[in-house]
Amino acid sequence: MTLLNESVRREVRQALAAMTEPVRIVLFTQQEGGALECGFCRETRQLVEEVVALSDKLRLEVHDLVADQALASQMGIDKIPAIALLRDERPQPRDFGVRLFGIPSGYEFGTFIQDLVLVSQARHDLSARTLEQLAALTGPVHIQVFVTPTCPYCPRAVLLAHRLAIASERVRADMVEATEFPHLANRYSVYGVPRTVINEVIHIEGAVPEAALMDELMQVNDPAAMKRLRAEWGL
Amino acid sequence: MDLHFELPTTGDGAASVWDVAIVGGGPAGATAAMYAARADLRVIVLDKGLTASALGITSRIANYPGVPEEISGAELLRRMREQAQRFGAVFVQDKVQAVDLESDPKLLFANGGTYEARAVIIATGSMARGQRVKGEEELLGRGVSYCATCDGAFFRDQDVAVAGNTDEAVEEALFLTRFARTVHFLSPTPRIHAPEPLLHELSSQPNVRLYLGAALREVIGGDHVTGVRVALRDGGEQVLPVNGAFIYLQGGRPATDFLGGQLPLNETGCVRVDAEYRTTIPGVYAVGDVLCNHVKQAVVAAAEGAIAAMAVEKALRGRKQLAVDWSK
Repeated sequence: MTLLNESVRREVRQALAAMTEPVRIVLFTQQEGGALECGFCRETRQLVEEVVALSDKLRLEVHDLVADQALASQMGIDKIPAIALLRDERPQPRDFGVRLFGIPSGYEFGTFIQDLVLVSQARHDLSARTLEQLAALTGPVHIQVFVTPTCPYCPRAVLLAHRLAIASERVRADMVEATEFPHLANRYSVYGVPRTVINEVIHIEGAVPEAALMDELMQVNDPAAMKRLRAEWGL
Repeated sequence: MDLHFELPTTGDGAASVWDVAIVGGGPAGATAAMYAARADLRVIVLDKGLTASALGITSRIANYPGVPEEISGAELLRRMREQAQRFGAVFVQDKVQAVDLESDPKLLFANGGTYEARAVIIATGSMARGQRVKGEEELLGRGVSYCATCDGAFFRDQDVAVAGNTDEAVEEALFLTRFARTVHFLSPTPRIHAPEPLLHELSSQPNVRLYLGAALREVIGGDHVTGVRVALRDGGEQVLPVNGAFIYLQGGRPATDFLGGQLPLNETGCVRVDAEYRTTIPGVYAVGDVLCNHVKQAVVAAAEGAIAAMAVEKALRGRKQLAVDWSK
């Protein structure tokens, strides 16, 4: 049975028509009966395959997290199912650091489709102020946005994080479906979504506007502030 | 987890630019929709629900011209909406979270998707909350939530409280019954303003406890929520041990938070408009209780909606005078 019905397939086809460059979807999963616990590996693979069939600008590359550990680690993939979206440029695909951990279902399905278009167009639509701030970053930034599939506010938070990753080589940004990775939700005390976690210790509740998120994010450039936050989180 | 895969819609299933998007479906919004749709404009009304408006929770109304019988505010509003729909206005239950009023077309970011419109009429009323209760802000994201559908899954087999008295609060509480062990429903009023079938569904859930006339006073907790303090109808107080507090209370302030400061407000938080209900941003209008110096009566709100709709029509068609096609 297909996951996407005909009307959704038609809408997705229409949305993907805006793609300019091809996108390589790198899916990390495991075979049926694999050693790791993975509630939605099979469905995620099926979903991605169904989406790839809807545009000739999409390519799919499937890896096993355990067998392809070196590549996974190089790409910052440590849990499954995981999706990395790369702009399929020549000679090398370009990895902006856009990641989705957990199945992009519910409201996050729309995020996944919008991500494909944004990565394809290498488009971020960020303000001049944000771009200035990103240019001033002195170290790596890892954004994790915790979501649930039933959260209508979450796509805005995820898409903002992904647009920041597209705009800056220093930023990588993950969507993390909280109910599939409860150990992470516990680790970061996530009781509400969207929760944006930056470099482990900067926590932002809700889908905040771009400028507000950037003001919080820029604390990564302040060693004293980061030291204080790390101490607060016992790190 | 049930799997669903759909793209956000913009009202009629197609990505399209509406002539007019109206935020709020009370008497002001519904009348604006009626007039704009009758002038052959493509109109969408985004509204949280029937009891989100002051008229929707009015139990009896006897002074609305042309309606001599005493009817409920919800019934009057239902008739207004039906009349607007007959002229082609589209009503969508959705909550606008943010806007970009300077862009062309104007953008409304809502839970169900992004809506685009050439003109926007703000008719969100004045039932937004003012003060938060003690502990609410500190514990946001640590058990305090405004979205059960988002966060319900974190409260599996735990006890939670829902504070509110609207259909939105009831629907969110019903969602929580799927996860939570006990849902304590705290209605600040003796009556919950929601349709009877919805109320029946709520009261027949085995894991729901109803508290009528119960005011949420405080959310208690350190790292996360551990309880809520409630003032009861009999004058007593009770602390309910819960891990989650879902808050859908209303207040008496103009509902302008979603504007994100894009329109100047006066010191009481009201949007300022001219005689045609135009705000300071071209193509953006405001009507009804969200305004200052507004007499809070359904008939006044409706009249303002009519004037704004005609002003929108005039602006979009590039005419100098307001016009109504009386022959239709």
